[in-house]
Amino acid sequence: MIEIKDVKKNFGRKKVLKGVSFTAEKGEITCLIGINGVGKTTILNAITALTPIQSGEILIDGEKLHKGSYEKIMFIPDAITMLPSMRIADAMEFMNDFYDCWNEARAKELLQFFKLKESDRISDLSKGNTAKVNLLLGLALDVDYLLMDEPFSGIDIFSREQIADVFTSHLIEERGVIITTHEINDIEHLIDKVVLIDEGVVLKEFRTEEIRENEGKSVVDVMREVYQK
Amino acid sequence: MKLNFNNRDPVYVQVIRHFKEQIATGLLEPGQEIPSRRELANQLKINPNTAQRAYKEMEEQGLIYTERNLPSRITKDEKVLSIVREELILQAVNSFVSSVQSINVPLEEVIELVRANYEQASEEVRGQDDRN
Repeated sequence: MIEIKDVKKNFGRKKVLKGVSFTAEKGEITCLIGINGVGKTTILNAITALTPIQSGEILIDGEKLHKGSYEKIMFIPDAITMLPSMRIADAMEFMNDFYDCWNEARAKELLQFFKLKESDRISDLSKGNTAKVNLLLGLALDVDYLLMDEPFSGIDIFSREQIADVFTSHLIEERGVIITTHEINDIEHLIDKVVLIDEGVVLKEFRTEEIRENEGKSVVDVMREVYQK
Repeated sequence: MKLNFNNRDPVYVQVIRHFKEQIATGLLEPGQEIPSRRELANQLKINPNTAQRAYKEMEEQGLIYTERNLPSRITKDEKVLSIVREELILQAVNSFVSSVQSINVPLEEVIELVRANYEQASEEVRGQDDRN
């Protein structure tokens, strides 16, 4: 489990996170939702210690972040960080050199799953395929938790569907996933939990099946209530 | 298999309804093997935990059974199967009645319309079968 406890973060005088708390379980998909610029990416960065926090606590399986945490948890940014001149195979090799937990067999399976060719250059790929390569490089790692920043943003509908398919496939296994998004329509049935964020605070945290069962509301219904109050 | 889920009912409830419909229409036969939880999640594009929940409920309701580590199967229990059928018929009739009632049609007229419509639809189905 990932536990975020009262995390505060400032950029200069601007308070970006004003005491954020929530949890994300292993084997579940937790979705951080917020209209843009409310600190979603900052939260993911804080979990992997890519950005220092002013106060609060982040625990991974009950432990504070330490060096070993990086073999447990992977942050997948919203844009690919590999050089455009690289072929997909080069990018995979780079990851293999960099991470002990690179799983070549799963990487190969993901190539097939996404119908990508290893010999293709990143600069030649469509937006959708670039997003898939970006995801592949993170998903192929044997980590327990995957943090994905806007995996569905700015790509075509078929690529979105293909990426959504990963979440229902064996490729995700029993891992814990946190994704950020500002659009929920494609994935309402895929996620276990929703954390609604605005202006650096958590407005509501709920389980999707429970809100449907107990209140007969869709995720969008709840968003309307919370954001348009 | 792609289901159009609505967003306000629990997904596991909708999955169970889907199975009941398939059982009642004979698309799923008694004793027939059903997909694993993971396969079902993949086919229906739903969360694997939700597929798990749906199977657990169906197991408790006696709709499916699992022997040791073998794949789960549709029940052969006649009693359970007939309850499923009755339940679906009743649901369909209830929704039909409530929509017809709201237009204030006399029962006799409705029954006559239902009879004519039902016979016509059956003939069309038979016609299709002959052509195939």
